[in-house]
Amino acid sequence: MKEDRRRAMIWSYVFLCIFVVFFLTPPAYMLITSLKTNAEISAAVAPWWIFAPTLDNYVELLTSPTYLTFFRNSALVSVLVVLITMAVSIPAAFALSRMKFWGSATLATGVFLTYLIPETLLFIPLFKIFVFVHETTGIQLINRWWVLVVLYPTLTVPFATWIMIGYFGSIPKELDEAALIDGAGYLQILIKIFIPVALPGIIAATIFAFTVSWAQFLYPLAFTTSTDQLVLPVGIITTLIKGDVFTWGQIMSGTLLGAAPPLVIYAFLMDYYIAGLTAGATKG
Amino acid sequence: MKKFLRRKSTIAFAMALPLILIIALLVLYPALYSIHMATLNKSMEHFVGLENFAFLFTRETFWMVVRQSVVFAVSAVVFKAVIGFCVAHFVHNIPVKGQRKWRGMLLVPWVIPPAMSTLVWLWLFDPSYSAFNWTFEHIGMAPVNWLGSPNWARFAVILVNVWVGAPFFMIMYLAALKSVPEQLYEAAAIDGANWWQKLWYITLPMMRNIIAITVLFSLIVTFANFDIVRVLTSGGPVDQTHVFATWAFKVGIEGSDLPLGAAVSLFMFPILAVAAIFILRDISRRGTEN
Amino acid sequence: MVTKKFTRRRFLKTAAAASAAVGLTSYVRTSHAAGKLELGFWDHWVPGANDVLTKLCNEWAAKEKVEIKIDYIPSQGQKNLLTIAAEAQAKAGHDMLALPTWWPADKAKDLEPVDDVMKVLLADNGAVSPLIEYLGRVDGRWIAIPATPGSQIKGPCGRIDLLKQHAGLDVTKMYPVGAVPDNALSENWTWDAFLTAAEKCHKAGVPFGIGLGQTADSVDSMGALFSSFGAELVDAKGNITVKSDAVKQVLEYMKKLVPVLPPDVFAWDDASNNKWLISGKGALIMNPPSAWAVAKRDNPKVAEQLWTFPAPRGPKGRFQPYLPYFWGIWKFSQNKAAAKSLMLHISERSAVEKMVAASQGYDIPAFAKLNDFKTWADEGPPKGTLYHYPPKPGQILSIAGFPAPPKIAAQIYTQAIMTKLVAKCTQGGESIDKAIGWAASELQGFMRV
Repeated sequence: MKEDRRRAMIWSYVFLCIFVVFFLTPPAYMLITSLKTNAEISAAVAPWWIFAPTLDNYVELLTSPTYLTFFRNSALVSVLVVLITMAVSIPAAFALSRMKFWGSATLATGVFLTYLIPETLLFIPLFKIFVFVHETTGIQLINRWWVLVVLYPTLTVPFATWIMIGYFGSIPKELDEAALIDGAGYLQILIKIFIPVALPGIIAATIFAFTVSWAQFLYPLAFTTSTDQLVLPVGIITTLIKGDVFTWGQIMSGTLLGAAPPLVIYAFLMDYYIAGLTAGATKG
Repeated sequence: MKKFLRRKSTIAFAMALPLILIIALLVLYPALYSIHMATLNKSMEHFVGLENFAFLFTRETFWMVVRQSVVFAVSAVVFKAVIGFCVAHFVHNIPVKGQRKWRGMLLVPWVIPPAMSTLVWLWLFDPSYSAFNWTFEHIGMAPVNWLGSPNWARFAVILVNVWVGAPFFMIMYLAALKSVPEQLYEAAAIDGANWWQKLWYITLPMMRNIIAITVLFSLIVTFANFDIVRVLTSGGPVDQTHVFATWAFKVGIEGSDLPLGAAVSLFMFPILAVAAIFILRDISRRGTEN
Repeated sequence: MVTKKFTRRRFLKTAAAASAAVGLTSYVRTSHAAGKLELGFWDHWVPGANDVLTKLCNEWAAKEKVEIKIDYIPSQGQKNLLTIAAEAQAKAGHDMLALPTWWPADKAKDLEPVDDVMKVLLADNGAVSPLIEYLGRVDGRWIAIPATPGSQIKGPCGRIDLLKQHAGLDVTKMYPVGAVPDNALSENWTWDAFLTAAEKCHKAGVPFGIGLGQTADSVDSMGALFSSFGAELVDAKGNITVKSDAVKQVLEYMKKLVPVLPPDVFAWDDASNNKWLISGKGALIMNPPSAWAVAKRDNPKVAEQLWTFPAPRGPKGRFQPYLPYFWGIWKFSQNKAAAKSLMLHISERSAVEKMVAASQGYDIPAFAKLNDFKTWADEGPPKGTLYHYPPKPGQILSIAGFPAPPKIAAQIYTQAIMTKLVAKCTQGGESIDKAIGWAASELQGFMRV
């Protein structure tokens, strides 16, 4: 038995190494390329080795106000979207999983079905809606980074709600029944009982919302134009690639720096994320 | 009045209201408008009913896009599920203390924004500068026409999609694996079951729900994929890697025919809805069985 | 200089009178309302080129007391097309936008006629080519003016050393600096000579890099080839003429050329041919000077061997692949008179000269009198490498799809029918007739309104 176990373990390590190579080759290549000069990149010499390492690409980006603006916009948008997503999803999930009301079952499935509607279909009508808003209320949404704060929740709220429904569903009903008997209102039950118990799930949904917001490409591409309103993915692609000229060194360093916040968050909160994502799904 | 406000269903409705508003205003209404748009002519001046759809049915490229989207979505999801499943097993088999760092490394592709990581792949596949081809040439193999030959281009697009998405499957399956009680395996071992039988009779049945849900979610997201194909091949060569979202963009925005673009995008909906209904029904049926 | 100001002032008076008559608040200096103007220009890839345009606009704005806001919109990710589509739909956005080639004609009904501006410009700066009229004039009215930034010619850019060594072509002699082309040698620079040179370079391991993908560079190269054989996919009246001998001739020619090109050209985007040339792997590409400019920075040894010269001659003439940009004013703009005045200011000879210099010679003005700036003679190394870049007499400026009605030609262009035709009967292994049949069916689809 032990011999079998050991053999399984060794083979697992072997295969894990192979897969890690597969998964980490592109990021490694990103790192290597970001440390090269433009001349070395163009010269088509050995791509896996750095002959003349340089930190220029990073320095140029970190001292460039444009790039730092992208970072700031991305961070602002993502944080705000996470807050909004949580403020919307948690009550909604609570209502849908615990308090049956007319249409709640349809709504629960319907929420999931919104994912079937692709972004490419929506952005032209959305443009017209925003123009209408501008004309009636004077709030300019087009070409402002805060329009993304309005739009991203459409992408994050459904899945976050779904995670939370699954998670809330696994909380024993006896808890709320006991609280109800004690005279607690529904809001109090939510705040005092559910949120603390479901905290891992909430963290998971938070990380999901953050990652999705950070990585968005089509909506910012369509709705933000001026350089100071762009977020990272669009900013990198539109400022570092001009016409037919790609500045690969900076693109790579920009991408790595741009991937850093999600990576850092994952590094610290990964356990919660995994626990949250899966507990809701498997128990539900 | 106070009683009404205190009623359970009112509070519930109020709690769900923001969700309903967001979806109604920013998803449903634009979607309905798009459906309306798809019934207009190219210059958006006349109503032409289902003519745009009829026109699409006559286009060879359209059917190619349908075929490509289905093949792309199905094969990418199958590979992601299989790889995710296998890798989850490998991580599960090693001591728990070490699992954390392997898990972390394997999650990286999922965490990097796809629009940006696809750029790296573009550079790795570049006709003149491909690092892969350089390596191939060095070990005596012929360079591969990654993005220029139709079959390799399709392979490349699926490969990148699998690379980005497999970690998600791995994480979901890993947690599901952890929740399968050890006793079941021990009992089976006593009965003389080998690893294959354990897998088939214990693991898979216990994980059926989670497998179904992840497959469904991934099918939907992969089918509607825009970023990866757009950055890597823009649908080329000769439209042979176009999927619905990228072709809708090409026809609608670049070809200045927004109604036709909307019609193409709308086609995704029935296909996905059918898949969703089948899988969800399967899950709920099994739920009632349990 | 003085003549220009007079002309503009005369125009301003007329415009002010006209807009006053209609009751619009104009920007006229003496009145209280100076107005605002939002501008969306093409984001130039040459570092610093945008700043020159910004400076010109600010100068004008300070003088006319107009508040301006400028966005530089990239063509990367089709951002500019997204902006055009969204603003036309929503009837809100910038006042003046840079519109690539086909978009003035496509959005003609949403654009403000600018006949008054063009009248002045044509008088001051000379005539424009029939191609500009074809693209910018709809139903007899000019709906956009040709813009300098972004307008480019995608003729051959080749390695002097490799072409001499392997193909026996001395391009500096054929197209010398500061002089007219050598008559005999340039007469012999035909598509057949091109093919022979390509074959020789392929044998020597430095093939020509002619993209056959779906982006503009590839489409433009094929466009020039098709035009020079007289192969029209759709004629000026809108009849589908793809099933013609001329088209068959072009496809036969390409069946001979494709084998001596790199095998992955079918996936090339606009940057691929640049990389091909800069890496030193190829002897010739069809591209504007962006490849040379980047080579100057990244691979100077290659850069000093590069020479830009006209495209080969075909049975119907020497066609240069041309990609013009336009500036147009939306009908919904609240400050059209100001926009028109700005248009005049940035189309003055001195302004254009500054923009061309800032672009390192990349930008091609559309007006006949503006093609003699010193920039092209002086840019280097090697000095004079761009002398034969701007159009010269005897060359015809072409665009893929011409002379089909612009809305149909735009589809031919964006859907890359020409390169796809070539791909189908070469890489795709289809017979020429089958490929042409497919094209006819696609073209039929473009006839929709």
